[in-house]
Amino acid sequence: MKQENIRNFCIIAHIDHGKSTLADRILERTGAIDKRELKDQMLDSMDLERERGITIKLNAVQLSYTRDGETYQLNLIDTPGHVDFSYEVSRSLAACEGALLVVDAAQGVEAQTLANLYLALDNHLTIIPVINKIDLPSADIEKVSTELENIGFDRNDIIKTSAKTGEGISELLDRIIDVIPSPKGDQNKPLKALIFDSLFDSYRGVITSIRVVDGVVKVGDIIKMMETNATYDVVGLSINTPKEEEIKELSAGEVGYLYASIKSIQDVHVGDTITLEENPAKEALHGYKPMKPTVYCGMYPIEANKFEDLRDALNKLKLNDAALTFEPETSKALGFGFRCGFLGLLHMEIVEERIEREFGINLIATSPSVVYEVLLNNGDKVIVDSPSKMPKREFVSKTFEPYVKCSIFTPKDYIGSLMELCQDKRGTFINMEYLDTERVTIHYELPLSEIVYDFFDRLKSCTKGYASFDYELIGYKQSDLVKMDILLNGEVVDALSVIVHKDFAYSRGKIVCEKLKEIIPRQLFEVPIQAAIGMHVIARETVKALRKDVLAKCYGGDVTRKKKLLEKQKEGKKRMKQIGSVEVPQEAFLSILSTKE
Amino acid sequence: MIKSCYVHIPFCKKICSYCDFCKLIYHKKFINSYLDALEKEIDSKYQGEVLDTLYIGGGTPTCLSYEELERLLKILSKLKLSKDIEYTIEGNVDSITIEKLELLKTYGINRLSIGVETTNLRFLQLLNRTLDQEKCRTLVDYARSIGIHNINFDLIYAIPGENIDDLEKDLDFILSLFPEHISTYSLIIEENTILGIKDTKNISEELDYEMYLSICKRLKENGYIHYEISNFSKPGYESKHNLCYWKNGEYYGFGLGSSSYIHKKRITNTRSITRYKEGIVLAEEELSLDDEIEYEVILGLRLLKGIDLRLFEEKYHHSLSYYYDVDQLIEEGYLQLNNHYLSIPEDKIYVSNEILVKILQNRK
Repeated sequence: MKQENIRNFCIIAHIDHGKSTLADRILERTGAIDKRELKDQMLDSMDLERERGITIKLNAVQLSYTRDGETYQLNLIDTPGHVDFSYEVSRSLAACEGALLVVDAAQGVEAQTLANLYLALDNHLTIIPVINKIDLPSADIEKVSTELENIGFDRNDIIKTSAKTGEGISELLDRIIDVIPSPKGDQNKPLKALIFDSLFDSYRGVITSIRVVDGVVKVGDIIKMMETNATYDVVGLSINTPKEEEIKELSAGEVGYLYASIKSIQDVHVGDTITLEENPAKEALHGYKPMKPTVYCGMYPIEANKFEDLRDALNKLKLNDAALTFEPETSKALGFGFRCGFLGLLHMEIVEERIEREFGINLIATSPSVVYEVLLNNGDKVIVDSPSKMPKREFVSKTFEPYVKCSIFTPKDYIGSLMELCQDKRGTFINMEYLDTERVTIHYELPLSEIVYDFFDRLKSCTKGYASFDYELIGYKQSDLVKMDILLNGEVVDALSVIVHKDFAYSRGKIVCEKLKEIIPRQLFEVPIQAAIGMHVIARETVKALRKDVLAKCYGGDVTRKKKLLEKQKEGKKRMKQIGSVEVPQEAFLSILSTKE
Repeated sequence: MIKSCYVHIPFCKKICSYCDFCKLIYHKKFINSYLDALEKEIDSKYQGEVLDTLYIGGGTPTCLSYEELERLLKILSKLKLSKDIEYTIEGNVDSITIEKLELLKTYGINRLSIGVETTNLRFLQLLNRTLDQEKCRTLVDYARSIGIHNINFDLIYAIPGENIDDLEKDLDFILSLFPEHISTYSLIIEENTILGIKDTKNISEELDYEMYLSICKRLKENGYIHYEISNFSKPGYESKHNLCYWKNGEYYGFGLGSSSYIHKKRITNTRSITRYKEGIVLAEEELSLDDEIEYEVILGLRLLKGIDLRLFEEKYHHSLSYYYDVDQLIEEGYLQLNNHYLSIPEDKIYVSNEILVKILQNRK
């Protein structure tokens, strides 16, 4: 295919604004699939992907579209939708020349619409604004058009579509061909191909999604990863139409899949550049960043004998999830488990849920922690991704914590309560922009740990769910951080320790102690619950000793009832963790996350 | 060898708001057919053992009319009684009469258990009960005059709204009648009772415990022995019938909803009167050795004196510590050894469930 007839583009949108259904409609209109075959949301359909032999999410589809006798190759590249995966999003965008910015006709512009738009602009993409779901009764095309105008689009350039009825799709395809530039690579230069996604397939090993920028790659070539210098033989190349088709080569401007008997997804880095071992490119495509976890938590199996199962589950997940990290960790309270690292909170939740659902292992996850930097008195720098690694206070000179720049998108009625929330969260106001008369974007700098704690829930509750937000890491700042321990009956429960800002330690400690008091049942003796920084107790509650736990009346010799009751009580104890002499229900370990004040 | 027998009379004129037991509103037309069924049950199960204790409980057995009561007692006279039988009937002040007392005496009843529960008008209303204190005195005096010398009062405490002073007044009244035996129950609000449905809340655990302590103190000062979690008696007047339960002895249970423990089987009769009349039993549980031992422990430790370890070993061929690891609990003071008895210390007996569960968890 000549490059002039290739269009590489992606669809970017806020969650639920109809990205997947719009993609389906494009597939249908280009004849890649007919209506009969079309299952809803083709690009997301796991079943179909299984049939193709690819397990999940390899979503670059090559479509063929003929107009005025001229055949075009359209490569539609899917992007993950969430902020946790923004680096992956940015690599997908880097594989394109254009993007469709999809906005829901009823919801309008949202935080992720903007975040994705800025990412696309950073990658110098040509943007086609699309208002989707115009069939909705609540659609307000005028208003949404104005919003798009306010973020820099020409009203006349906006395409209105209904992925449901198919309205506007042909116009959209025409616009893609007319507006989005064709790739401008050089087939004769040394190979440069961008890896923008990868997944593990049990038969073929790692499959990479690549965009060839310059040169040609053929089956049988020996390729080299420019970041890791690893070399592999190209075993196969394919495209997805959306049926997988084997091909012999991919040349400049094209998008496809490459597999090369790569055993582990750890050997392939999204963002890396593939070149040929012979006649390699001089420099890699820029923009590569190794993925680093930003949030850590301990994961422990509720049943101690499931530790090995948990290890297996994490290993299996890691095959397809290069960003997940884990290493064994031991807690006095929870036994054997793993310290796991994630790209963000959503990533953490996804992994937790998959372990519980797909592998049937019940987990206790400890409070998530961000990665702190600690400067010791002797000048050494320590990376602290778990409260247990926090050095003793007397050795610490300075502490630093990661900050994010946060954009909150909200109807103007909630500005006041949002600013209050951000102040509460140690935020620094940057600026506020009016998108139109009704809606604003507020920018704040916030410590990441505050976002990890309960920011999202509070944001939603103080704006009745109307605000959306997005954030990006901006680096480390000095902060007065301390490790707060929780003691039960005088004994530190390691799994409950957290790192907090000194000014917030007292209130946080108080909340946790109060919550634990509600959760921990009375025992045969009084149980003091204390929050402490070092030796210094900052909050205390007491679980009073059990006073009455007795079955009085014996109804007409029916003693079976008593036995049943005791057995039930005994069963209940199985769901408790014994910490020293104190029996602690599992919910206690979640209480540290509790936000009720 | 079975030496005890319980007979259930489920009828009541009024339903108490806390009652979770098997009970029916008294209707004249039910009684004779019920007694027929009861007689049939006794005929089919009773093997002619000589009984040491016979207990007619309810419901309110004394709510039967004189004639119905006489018929019941006649049916029960088929049971062979030992010379020193403890023969108890439960009743309330409302329904007991001088005539009924004489009838009871004639048929050998020598122990009377009267549900006083509370003397406070407000609480009586809450419990949907009545109490004529003067009539109570007269009945007790009369019972004693005709030779019924063993009298028990039931007392309920920890009623919502009750305080220590209210409790003391109840105790004043009960003690003024010099009963041989007193059973005290902290009010339990069960789900399927009037109180439960009204979502009545219990008093605080602290106040409940305080009340329990003052009952123990007051009764001890007045010469009563605290021999079981909720039972007190003058020396020699411990309820032999209840001791049979706590010592894990076998017993017959006749009547609607009653329980038997016969030849290592725990049998619970149906609570449905129609099904009962058809002779249907609800549940039969054949006990494994493990079950038996568990019962032995959870029942025996209700007694302040505790479990006789020598008897235990005789019965189960191994010492108790062969089955359960109790050393640590003894060390921590939740159990104590006294001669050859293992017991829960008196100051811990009010949290005995928690301790029992700990023992059961330590099954070797």
